[in-house]
Amino acid sequence: MICVTQLSKSFGSVRAVDDVSFSADDGKITGLLGPNGAGKSTILRMLYTVFKPDSGTATIDGFDIQKDALQVKSNIGVLTHGAGIYERLSARENVRYYGNLHGMRGSALDQRIDELAELLEMSDFIERRTKGFSQGQRTKVALARALVHSPKNVLLDEPTNGLDIMATRGLRKAISRLKDAGHCVVFSSHIMQEVAALCDDIVIVAKGSIAAQGSPDQLIQNTGADTLEDAFVKAIGSEEGLI
Amino acid sequence: MNASTTSRTATAALANSNSRFNGLWTVFKKEVIDNFRDRRTLTTMVLSIVMAPLFIIGIQWFAESKVKQETDPVTSPPFELPVVGAEYAPNLMNWLRQNNISIIDAPDDPEQSIRSGERRVVMVIKDNFSPRFEKGKSAPVLLIHDSSIGGLEQLGMHQVQHALSMFSNKIAAMRLQVRGISPELTQPIVVNTSDVATPESRNSQILGMLPYMIIMLIMAGGMYLAIDSTAGEREKGSLESLITLPIDRRDIMLAKLLATAFFSALTFLLVLIGFIVAMKYAPVDSIDLVVEPSRVAYVFITCLPFVLVASALLILVASFTKSYKEAQSYLSFIMLAPSMPLIFLFFLSPEPSASNMWVPSLSQALIIIETFKGEPIASALVVLSMASSLVLAAALSFIAMKLYQREGILG
Repeated sequence: MICVTQLSKSFGSVRAVDDVSFSADDGKITGLLGPNGAGKSTILRMLYTVFKPDSGTATIDGFDIQKDALQVKSNIGVLTHGAGIYERLSARENVRYYGNLHGMRGSALDQRIDELAELLEMSDFIERRTKGFSQGQRTKVALARALVHSPKNVLLDEPTNGLDIMATRGLRKAISRLKDAGHCVVFSSHIMQEVAALCDDIVIVAKGSIAAQGSPDQLIQNTGADTLEDAFVKAIGSEEGLI
Repeated sequence: MNASTTSRTATAALANSNSRFNGLWTVFKKEVIDNFRDRRTLTTMVLSIVMAPLFIIGIQWFAESKVKQETDPVTSPPFELPVVGAEYAPNLMNWLRQNNISIIDAPDDPEQSIRSGERRVVMVIKDNFSPRFEKGKSAPVLLIHDSSIGGLEQLGMHQVQHALSMFSNKIAAMRLQVRGISPELTQPIVVNTSDVATPESRNSQILGMLPYMIIMLIMAGGMYLAIDSTAGEREKGSLESLITLPIDRRDIMLAKLLATAFFSALTFLLVLIGFIVAMKYAPVDSIDLVVEPSRVAYVFITCLPFVLVASALLILVASFTKSYKEAQSYLSFIMLAPSMPLIFLFFLSPEPSASNMWVPSLSQALIIIETFKGEPIASALVVLSMASSLVLAAALSFIAMKLYQREGILG
């Protein structure tokens, strides 16, 4: 469960995130939808504690992102934007490294890695060194290491970037399974169809603020539009960034 | 606050200190394994073990065998000396031939043949040689040569000069004896020398090169890891993911620094091993250095603080840069920084004292040289060297830690 309250962040004179509030429930997928440069990544970066907000705050399972950063970090799994993996380590070693850093050890850890390999359909290449992996395989490794400690909350920054159709479908399936297992999943995207297909709640972000939020049906109702696409255009006030 | 939250806080605190070491160790171990799988690291290691034998012994061996080959009157081929007007001084020519110099016909333009490098020395004897020689006056001999050519190429010139002065001395002594005067009269002073240098200290030429090589290789040994684990990790986008884990950023930095130091120290050790082996089996007579393992151990331990300085410097600069390429070009310059004080060492060869033993790299170079010479430096000065290097390493690490806590570390 993630609660964001009046979060703001500026870089110099640019107000990247302006007074953003929303919440994301357990067992639901919440999508941050908006054009590139809208501030989605900055919001996520504050949630996973690498950026400090200028004002406002957020809690993850009751832990404050600033005061209890260490507990927050233990309770989240993060797929960063363009996440890199270590090329000279095998896929298993990459995931095990993160498991070790979460304090996991031995056979329990290896069992968890096997589980993830099955969930993410990566058993074929789990023992191979990751140099030369396809983008889809890399993303799976990055996702597996983000999930290795079974975090209650999962934050994904543009996870489908650079993936082909099959890899995207595989990832969507994995995200749905996380939802079914009761996780709180937040993911950002600039692709409307993807958000529409997957999310229970949508937060539309434009120019650093929230333009609209709610379930897909609510968004259509509230904006008086016919389709979600029209609702999205109406909410952000332009067709910029719509794909 | 109720009992259950109190106990939860206590457990968390315990887990915290436990995980702190766990985090440090995990990152350290990963960086070491990752770097061992890097081919460039292995290349550096192999280089460091063969570098000392190759450069120090190799150069010495080449010079020595060349000198021997060129000057040994029994085995070396005669030096070919073109002489203009050889007919004016037949006795001198005989003497030169006896001294392993063969007389050949002079080229048409002697000076040009020297300039073009065809000949090293040409001797010119004029027709006034024998009249003056027979009257007991100084008879002129002209040697045309090029003093700008280096080293071994001068050997022929030296050989000719030596033979000429021997001939001159011999004739002088004979002339005096003929006139009933003791040749000793012309030698008011006889200089005898007694050399107290130990066999070790006579090898100062070799020892002069060793610290330079050690210090450069210590820097090179940690360089790839420093770049890869900081600028490289940021560029590949794995750093952002890493700092979302429940481990303090300062611990991440510290672990990377220690991994860099591990490889620098390993390289250092390999250079020393290469040096021991080379000294033991080198086929070079002029090197007479017994490298006792205890001295090697002493040098390794007393110079370890410099390994930390080097690692902290590498990590700090690499963390500052935006990309792998940028880090690489900065570090190539930084590699030179510790060699600056060594230039001072080459020119002035200072004695170890409190005024220079606090300087990192210079003080370690002095420790290396003096220890292998068998003239150990006072412990207080060695402690000064270690302490000042440790302080510098700590200061550099502190700045690097501050750097890692900024948001800008993500680039």
